Amino acid sequence: MSLLEIKDLSVEFSSGENAVKAVSHVFFKVREGETLGIIGESGSGKSVIGLALLRLLPANANVSGTVFFQGQDLFSLRPSELRKIRGKRISLMPQNPAGALNPVLKNRLQIEEVFEERGIDKKEGMKKSLRLMKKLLLRDPEKLCDLYPHQLSGGMRQRLIACMSLSFEPELVIADEPTKGLDPEAKERAVELFTKIKHDYGKTMLLITHDLDLALEVCDRIAVMYAGEIVELDKASKVLNAPSHPYTKGLVRAQPRNGLVPLSGQSPSRISLPEGCFFHERCRYSSIECFRKHPEMKNHNGGWIRCHFQSFQ
Amino acid sequence: MKYFIKRVGFMALTIFAVCALTFFLMNVIPGGTAKLVLKHTFVGLEESVTDEQLNQISDKYDLDDPLYLQFFRWIKEAVLRGDIGTSYVFKKPVLYLLALRLPATIQLAMVSMLIAMLAGVSLGIYSAIRENKISDHILRIVTLFGVSMPGFWVALLLILIFSLRLKLVPVTGYGSLENLLLPAAALSLHSVAAVMRVTRTSMLETLGQEYIRFAKAKGLPLWKIVSRHALKNAMLPVITVIGFQMGGLLGGTVVIEKIFAWPGIGSLLVDSISARDLPVVQGCVLAIVMMFLFVHFLVDMLYTHLDPRIRYG
Repeated sequence: MSLLEIKDLSVEFSSGENAVKAVSHVFFKVREGETLGIIGESGSGKSVIGLALLRLLPANANVSGTVFFQGQDLFSLRPSELRKIRGKRISLMPQNPAGALNPVLKNRLQIEEVFEERGIDKKEGMKKSLRLMKKLLLRDPEKLCDLYPHQLSGGMRQRLIACMSLSFEPELVIADEPTKGLDPEAKERAVELFTKIKHDYGKTMLLITHDLDLALEVCDRIAVMYAGEIVELDKASKVLNAPSHPYTKGLVRAQPRNGLVPLSGQSPSRISLPEGCFFHERCRYSSIECFRKHPEMKNHNGGWIRCHFQSFQ
Repeated sequence: MKYFIKRVGFMALTIFAVCALTFFLMNVIPGGTAKLVLKHTFVGLEESVTDEQLNQISDKYDLDDPLYLQFFRWIKEAVLRGDIGTSYVFKKPVLYLLALRLPATIQLAMVSMLIAMLAGVSLGIYSAIRENKISDHILRIVTLFGVSMPGFWVALLLILIFSLRLKLVPVTGYGSLENLLLPAAALSLHSVAAVMRVTRTSMLETLGQEYIRFAKAKGLPLWKIVSRHALKNAMLPVITVIGFQMGGLLGGTVVIEKIFAWPGIGSLLVDSISARDLPVVQGCVLAIVMMFLFVHFLVDMLYTHLDPRIRYG
């Protein structure tokens, strides 16, 4: 059964007369216990999806579509009902741990408040958090609680955030670019951390990242995003080892260990998206059809792909 | 501690500089001090003042000595014996006059400051939360008037409306709450508007931070997010402005006290300047400078309290 079901999700940001189409007509399902990765280059709209699910986008965002979480329509919930889901049943691991922790409040308070407004004992919750912190490779958690965020290292902050997001044992964790801005060593430990979360806790996760290594390591299925839409969705190993969509191919080839071949060109302006396939300007396989008609998502070898020429690839 | 000593040293230096400036500037103004002192002693008989009397006065107060010597003597008396001179006009120690007048000024300035902080900060928060709603626009227009209208004019308007037309409060007087209302309102209006605008801007900036979004993702209600996460962070620039406003308030009392015949050091200062009562002017300036420095010292101490990242070494 799918825990999360997203149908036709579109997000537009209005800025003056123009509307920036950040996400267009995205649909996917996340099954219980599964880790779904969303990959794509910066600005492809991955993070916006994560924030849109919890209705955390700024006021100028125009969100349409439906999101069902355990059969509940998240977009029609009243704010008080939404707060009961936020952090408790769906938690967000924000990108940029440095910015996500309030610099003027001690770590303890920021961990504790996860348990606020829940009708449960804060001290009990704190005990649980401390245990979790120990498990998540944080040494001396008690001492850590009495420090301010700026006194921690980047990796520690990330673990602390992971702790906050997991300590209520949410049914779904949205991890937004957890390896962004980490040095290689911290990155490796982040991969370790997420493997651990996945295996030890069996959490359902939506992992938003542009780190293909992390995605391959942790995800069961991967959705590839380009210019605000999903272009390929399939099993992780299939997407990253034998990609079908020309964009995914380019993305994989651009990795250092695969030859560091850059994709030429830039992704299209999101104010005026091209007619036809959004990728045709940069695609090696593009033909007249790609330029005229926008491709629909089609079934392909058990996965989904948005390309006119999937048949002979 | 080292910082504290350094800070006190700087304050002493500032006080010295201000005293020197006042002293020499007062002596640069044309018209001999002795002559003016006599004029105030013999009101209506100014023509009959003789040279002998002039010399007598000059001798009494050593007015014929070089300026630096007079200043040096004043400093010596002030530092060694805490005697900052005797009024030429009232023939009373300046300290006695200040002790008589200072409570009224402190009362007025503190009440105005309190109004400015309470009203300014809460209106600013309200305006930020309701950004671009009608109430926000109205508040911003009103504050535009607030910062644009000079205090003395507001004072006259208030007297005209509330005292003369509506006859709700007396025009002048001192001692009761209703006497305090108009001067405090006139004095604080500008500060309320200034503090509100800074609070709004600072609050909006803070509310856009990632840790606010993360706090929302934890499921906290808006009031907790504002009071716990945003307020402390947003207060730094506000506190700075409040500190500067305090200087403006102390300066503003000079005019406002004159209008409302408020028996504070502001009106004493104005009277002594026209009477060329140098010791009193000096004393008033000294008192104002010390209050100003004290407030700024408090502000700096508050910084470290608000933001743990700020430390004075």
